[in-house]
Amino acid sequence: MNGEAMRDQWYPVGIAAQLTPAGRDSLLLGEAIRIACDSDGAALVTDGAGRALPVITRFGHVWTTLGQPERDLFTIPEADQPGRRLVDVGTVLVRCSPLRAVENFLDIAHFPFVHTDILGSEPHTEVQRYEVEIRDDVDEVWATKVSFYQPQAAKSAQGGINAEYMYRVPAPTCSVLYKTCPARPEEWDVITLFVQPLTETTCQVWPWMALFDEDSSMTDMIHFQQMIFVQDRSILENQIPALLPLDPGMEIPTRADMTSIAYRRWLKRHGYTYGAQLVAA
Amino acid sequence: MNWTPAALSQDIPSGSAAPGQLGDKDIVIWRSASGRIAAWSDRCPHRGMRLSHGFVRGEFLSCIYHGWRYGDGGQCHRIPAHPELTPPDAIKVPVFAVTESDGVVWVAQKDAEPEAPPPGLAGFSPLRTLRLSARPETVAAAFGGTGLDLRGELGGCAVVVLIQPLPDDQCNLHALAANGADTATLDRVSAALEALRRQAETAEEIAA
Repeated sequence: MNGEAMRDQWYPVGIAAQLTPAGRDSLLLGEAIRIACDSDGAALVTDGAGRALPVITRFGHVWTTLGQPERDLFTIPEADQPGRRLVDVGTVLVRCSPLRAVENFLDIAHFPFVHTDILGSEPHTEVQRYEVEIRDDVDEVWATKVSFYQPQAAKSAQGGINAEYMYRVPAPTCSVLYKTCPARPEEWDVITLFVQPLTETTCQVWPWMALFDEDSSMTDMIHFQQMIFVQDRSILENQIPALLPLDPGMEIPTRADMTSIAYRRWLKRHGYTYGAQLVAA
Repeated sequence: MNWTPAALSQDIPSGSAAPGQLGDKDIVIWRSASGRIAAWSDRCPHRGMRLSHGFVRGEFLSCIYHGWRYGDGGQCHRIPAHPELTPPDAIKVPVFAVTESDGVVWVAQKDAEPEAPPPGLAGFSPLRTLRLSARPETVAAAFGGTGLDLRGELGGCAVVVLIQPLPDDQCNLHALAANGADTATLDRVSAALEALRRQAETAEEIAA
């Protein structure tokens, strides 16, 4: 399999609160899996041969693996702060590489054109210099000091603000965004993108949020995030090639794409290439 | 190589972009505000997004993903994330040769631009384009002709049917009807074209 190293990773496969004893079939890295629960509601995930796979329930989702992960699933300590509302956004099936879905989440330059008058608007298109690093101690990609003018940064935002962002990539198909919280400027909202790779060119995206927002209804918060992601899907299903190109030459990045450049470099370094295109030298 | 019919002019109004094909290549066919037609590779070199999803402003086509703006010759003129930057000459979308005559948009590879102009279609007006799951020769046989430039009668009206071969045993039919035909006649031609499509697709299925 392309990207053998990705077998030894944890992947989201469902919302913990929505499991059924009857279960449902799905795919993980091209292999058949089944997600169900026992009579106590505990998650059960099995492979195509009926063998039980390891399970972790965290961030409202069920996680599993086909391999032997060296590490525990990452944590998001901020999400445990009291007062946050935890939002299971649901799922969107996208016909794109799981890696392209993550890369799009790390991109801010598309806001004025894809999320027009919500996450961005012309003429506020400039991307200021920000900082990107691969943190060797935790083996994660981080982008910090990202800022962008947003007409409506969140459901709770009243008018335009200059939103501050921090991006974190703790696993090849997961990203955590820490974003200016309109309701509590001293805190960060947590918005995640958890991606289940079905095949190299199809994925199930499970956004999840931990927000300070006492006013919006759960339905409104879910609708807001789903609207954003459906706009992204119209892009993701129309990129050529469908696989994420990891070698330079196929695509032309600029300074605004520093996070994407670091993400691609990190994927390549680790051999996280399921969903990627490597051109022979 | 000859010119390939890729679209009817009326289907690409000023200020719009649409997807098209030349053989196995995906192209974007777009028309500027002043009416200039262009055919380019349907892929933004930045992140591979289809340019046929983009938007036209003035004489430029912009990618819908990050707003990169391209002009004459496929050259990138503006990267909105870096408004002060003059994009390097190397950022360019590959372009195709394109010409328009008698209401049809014709395209060809840039390095193989045909010397002869496209066939004349005087006396005919563009009607509609249909896509078929059948090979060109099957369609021609169903029409009762040969080649890619079919002339004859459909629905009691003189017509020209231009076949655009596509990969995977598909093709487009760009149909034109005699000038001055009234609406009722054009409706009959249109219905006859759909019957032709069914006939060709059925013949193709039986052959398979």
